[in-house]
Amino acid sequence: MRGRATVSVGQELPALARVVTREDVKAYADVGGDQNPLHQDDAFARSAGFPGVIAHGMFTMGHMAAAIVAWVGEPDAVLAISAQFRAPVFVGETIVAGGRVRSIEDRSATAILETWVTVERNGRTEWPVKKGEARVRLA
Amino acid sequence: MNPAAEGTTYPAVPFVVEPSRVAAFRSLFGISRGIPPTFVTAAEFAAFPQIVSDRHLDLDFSRVVHGSQTYRFRRPLHEGEELAVRARIEAIRIRGGNGFVTIAMDLEDADGVVVCTARSQMIERAAGA
Repeated sequence: MRGRATVSVGQELPALARVVTREDVKAYADVGGDQNPLHQDDAFARSAGFPGVIAHGMFTMGHMAAAIVAWVGEPDAVLAISAQFRAPVFVGETIVAGGRVRSIEDRSATAILETWVTVERNGRTEWPVKKGEARVRLA
Repeated sequence: MNPAAEGTTYPAVPFVVEPSRVAAFRSLFGISRGIPPTFVTAAEFAAFPQIVSDRHLDLDFSRVVHGSQTYRFRRPLHEGEELAVRARIEAIRIRGGNGFVTIAMDLEDADGVVVCTARSQMIERAAGA
């Protein structure tokens, strides 16, 4: 677990990037349990108004959680985590998770992180996760 | 979606924290040990069928997108334990033809302690949108 002495308000979490492949999305459907065809069937996704299959929001949130876990040191230190989904992620895109320390509470040895996930698309930054948050325990 | 279904509660559904499934989840997200925080989604999906098939709620899952998600833990999940997943419809709002439903689920351990509370906001997009 990350030590309190190594944490300060405003500190940034290292950005964590990954390419989202079709195989990842299929693997996520199998392990997460969400077999919605929107995430596996291009024709269905087009009928729903997308150019092709999109990743599960929970895939993107799982990646955001991985960035938090990498920073704080272990999954058990995550006391709460939330995400607002704002933009789809298409297969082949690179998602980047980031965050910073918003506040620290010494009495409970916890920190609040604000987190996000971005993707660069057509020269613009889109926000698959706009407002993410986590409360983590510090050592 | 039927706003009168707000407050509906569903019978508990059992969910076992299968070590092999946890390992697959870790591997997918590059987490080396423990249980990834968003693994709880697997427990939610154990309870979703009774929500999707609830004729009183009348949620058209083919038009649903995920708006937001929250998990709060009282303690970490343990590999191998069996939890009871209790789902309820916490709020329903209709705006501009879109339906917004907040589904809350408590994961209870064998002692009746709520280990984790999950909240999902789902958006049922207007038909034909």
